[in-house]
Amino acid sequence: LECNAGALTNFEVLDFLRAKGASKDPTRVIAKVAQSEYKVYDYLVDTAASVQTRESINEFLTSVKQHDLAKAEVLNILNIGPAAEVELYPIIEDCDERFGDEGVLEIVELVKKTLPLPLNMKQEEITKVDEETATLKNEKGNQISQDQSEGGEQMNTS
Amino acid sequence: MFYLSKIEHELPLPPSRLVLPIREAIHMELEKLFLDKVIANLGLCISVYDIRSIDGGFIFPGDGAPTYTVVFNLIMFRPFEKEIITARLLSSDADGLRLTIGFYDDIYIPASRLPDPNHFVETEPKKRVSSGQESTANPSSKKGMWYWDYDEQEYPITDVIKFRVTNVSYPQIPVEQPKESKPFAPMLVSGAIDDDGLGPISWWFGDEDEDE
Repeated sequence: LECNAGALTNFEVLDFLRAKGASKDPTRVIAKVAQSEYKVYDYLVDTAASVQTRESINEFLTSVKQHDLAKAEVLNILNIGPAAEVELYPIIEDCDERFGDEGVLEIVELVKKTLPLPLNMKQEEITKVDEETATLKNEKGNQISQDQSEGGEQMNTS
Repeated sequence: MFYLSKIEHELPLPPSRLVLPIREAIHMELEKLFLDKVIANLGLCISVYDIRSIDGGFIFPGDGAPTYTVVFNLIMFRPFEKEIITARLLSSDADGLRLTIGFYDDIYIPASRLPDPNHFVETEPKKRVSSGQESTANPSSKKGMWYWDYDEQEYPITDVIKFRVTNVSYPQIPVEQPKESKPFAPMLVSGAIDDDGLGPISWWFGDEDEDE
């Protein structure tokens, strides 16, 4: 009757599968979800869609109206969740001519502001913060040991 | 990537299903019929989204089951041209790359659509032993790895790859297939990674840390 009755974002498909009962449950027997549907769920749960919400998507769609983007481009941005300019170039046709460097940066900032970061990006940031914390601790530790060796009192780090 | 497709179908409902509520029985039968199947020009069926209407229920002469006219929506996987998709490398040979997204494996990147300049390094062909006979891999499709040559360095095309869809085709079902030919794929997705931001994601995010 209708070949294309409407495009769906990755989030909408993931949300539909979750509503059906798909989850990271290791048994995967309880829910009325087919094995092929679980394969789709496993793919989508590792994409930007896994951390998106209806509110964040609506906020993005409202904000992105000021930029002259095609529907397919908006759909692509939602599915990919580009967190850097380089990710945006293949999505938007004639990117530089249409928006210039500032326009591209604006769209990336808009994505970062309205759409949550994909889990793998969050993990990278967490790791980076952990590394920085560890470096600071090491530096502090070195200072303390130096103070002690010089006969000084131990610093109160609390 | 995903679309809703509205379909009308004449569905005979097996008597064994009649113990269930009619809507549930039809839903189960539709899943059995369409799920994980490719419909020409529509794509791969992911799930039955909803049932819009159920009509009929007549038992035709000589039939052992009631037939219903059902209008329903299916969630279809049908990538559109110029869409960007993230996939994992399944295999690479002299012809190009084959990618997978877990639920769909027939994604091909031809050698002509790889970043230029590039080169292919063939791995030692592994011998496969079957029923006491040794047989080597087909020489026309030698396995190996592709590399992008850039700035006097070579970058392997491997792991998680972001590609642009260039074409989606639905080949006709062959009447006869040669024994050595690969299994028939009812839907073929062709892609390209010959642009900025495409290719292994490690290429584009490995550099950012170094700059900082």
